[in-house]
Amino acid sequence: MNTTTAVQKKRKPESIGSGYLNILAPLIVLVILIAALEFFTRAFGISRFVLPPPTDIIAQTISNFPEIWPHFLFTLKIVAIGFMISVPLGMLIAALFSQYEILVKAISPVIIWLVITPMITLIPLIMLWLGTDPNLRVIVVIIQATPIITLNTLNGFTNIEGEKLELAKSVGASKRQTFIKIIFMNAMPQVFTGIKLGCIFSTIGAISADFVAGTVGLGSRIVQYTKYNSIELSYGCIIIIALIGICLFSIVELIEKRIVLWKN
Amino acid sequence: MENKIFRINRISKSFGSENSDSKVEVIKEISMEILEKEFVVILGNSGCGKSTFLKILGGILPASSGNIEFNGKDYGQEIPRDVLKKFGFVFQNNNLLQWRTTEGNLRFMLEMMHLKGEQWTARIDEMLDIVGLKAYKKEYPHELSGGMRQRVGIARALVHNPDVLILDQPLGALDAITRKMLSYEILNIWKKTQKTVVMVTNNVDEALLLANRIFVLSPVLPTTISHEIQVNIPITARDENIYENQRFNELREMINDIVRSTI
Ligand SMILES: Nc1ncnc2c1ncn2[C@@H]1O[C@H](COP(=O)(O)OP(=O)(O)OP(=O)(O)O)[C@@H](O)[C@H]1O
Ligand SMILES: [Mg+2]
Repeated sequence: MNTTTAVQKKRKPESIGSGYLNILAPLIVLVILIAALEFFTRAFGISRFVLPPPTDIIAQTISNFPEIWPHFLFTLKIVAIGFMISVPLGMLIAALFSQYEILVKAISPVIIWLVITPMITLIPLIMLWLGTDPNLRVIVVIIQATPIITLNTLNGFTNIEGEKLELAKSVGASKRQTFIKIIFMNAMPQVFTGIKLGCIFSTIGAISADFVAGTVGLGSRIVQYTKYNSIELSYGCIIIIALIGICLFSIVELIEKRIVLWKN
Repeated sequence: MENKIFRINRISKSFGSENSDSKVEVIKEISMEILEKEFVVILGNSGCGKSTFLKILGGILPASSGNIEFNGKDYGQEIPRDVLKKFGFVFQNNNLLQWRTTEGNLRFMLEMMHLKGEQWTARIDEMLDIVGLKAYKKEYPHELSGGMRQRVGIARALVHNPDVLILDQPLGALDAITRKMLSYEILNIWKKTQKTVVMVTNNVDEALLLANRIFVLSPVLPTTISHEIQVNIPITARDENIYENQRFNELREMINDIVRSTI
């Protein structure tokens, strides 16, 4: 008697072209959007102080790029360094607190409070404490981005089905094994949500700091260009800032797609 | 076959803190002895405490009182961590790790128990072969059917070559046809691997096909053993034709009467 059936397997071929479509579709939307804005701004004679035609923004930004470049590099540096410190820091704090239920309860409201408080409100004070060295803006980024990463990661660490922990118990897992092989892996999707929000918060933190103090950084450029009526360049800087955030976000998403291959 | 692998002595379990209103007594003074290589089936109504009992047996939960002897050693109310290598636990709803492939789920056991080397890797294939899933090594749980997931769960519980296999309603969530097919598969695995098996089910036919002994639990909390039934159907008669066996039908009648009288 043999009832063991070896089930035959058919693999679905990966649908070709869906990759192209994912890139092409948003690009088409973008082109249509730019064309529409171009048309409306020119056809209805909208004041360039409200919204300059997109082609003017692009043309002027490109011709003034040498002037913008160092500010771009500075902001990129602040965002990138702040982000790269915030991610491990946020995860580490979550990992430590998650070890004790009482700590989770005690610390969660504080983290939420930190997430909600816009750091721009604290920047003048922080600058006062830390001096005005522009590089210290990294600290603003860290204070802005770390709590949201901690919040999401901690959520992932604490929201685990009892059954998963029972599996760990049933194999005699140590506390360390349980954390690394079960709790951390189980939280991976939420960890990535935290990191992606961290991208956005890092960019916000860096620009907020630029607004309050100093003469370097894309944020300070926006203030300057608006002051001198170069509205096209203000818009240009806004777009560049958005691009920094989008690039960071996309990189994280790409890594996530390579790691999180499963569905819940 | 006469060696006693388990000696369970007046195990009780309650949840919630002592002397409070939230305290629930689930199990009351269950005692049983399990022989080596025996197939023991536990039958009982939903919610009567079957999973709780298996979790105590499998070292997942401590008992509130009583003691458990395993392989001649008294471990008190909880089987310690280092002994659990000798156990394989199949959960009520597969409980696979969704971030690991079929193969990865089996490897998880080896990693946790620090079992390294060629022979263990080969054992992963061997176990997947036994449950007929060799072709699905690289699939994630969400890519498998319910029956396949349950089989991965069984293979996972066997991969570290335990002495005792504990199965908590392994076929409960499956359709009738798959369920019947897999029950024969469990029978084959038991014949092939010669393990001591403790299984919970709520299906009388399944119990009679597989068990050497059946324990029926009382339906009211706290539960205790209400009947013990020796299933004296020869191993040679246990196959697709078991329904024609006279003893099978007698026992089935008897157990159904027991179950009916308790409702
Ligand atoms: N951690 C717990 N805390 C409090 N009560 C619990 C806990 N686990 C189980 N119980 C209670 O113990 C009783 C038995 O639960 P158990 O899961 O053992 O039942 P079961 O016989 O396995 O049921 P089923 O056939 O539905 O799986 C139930 O009344 C349940 O509410
Ligand atoms: Mg149960």
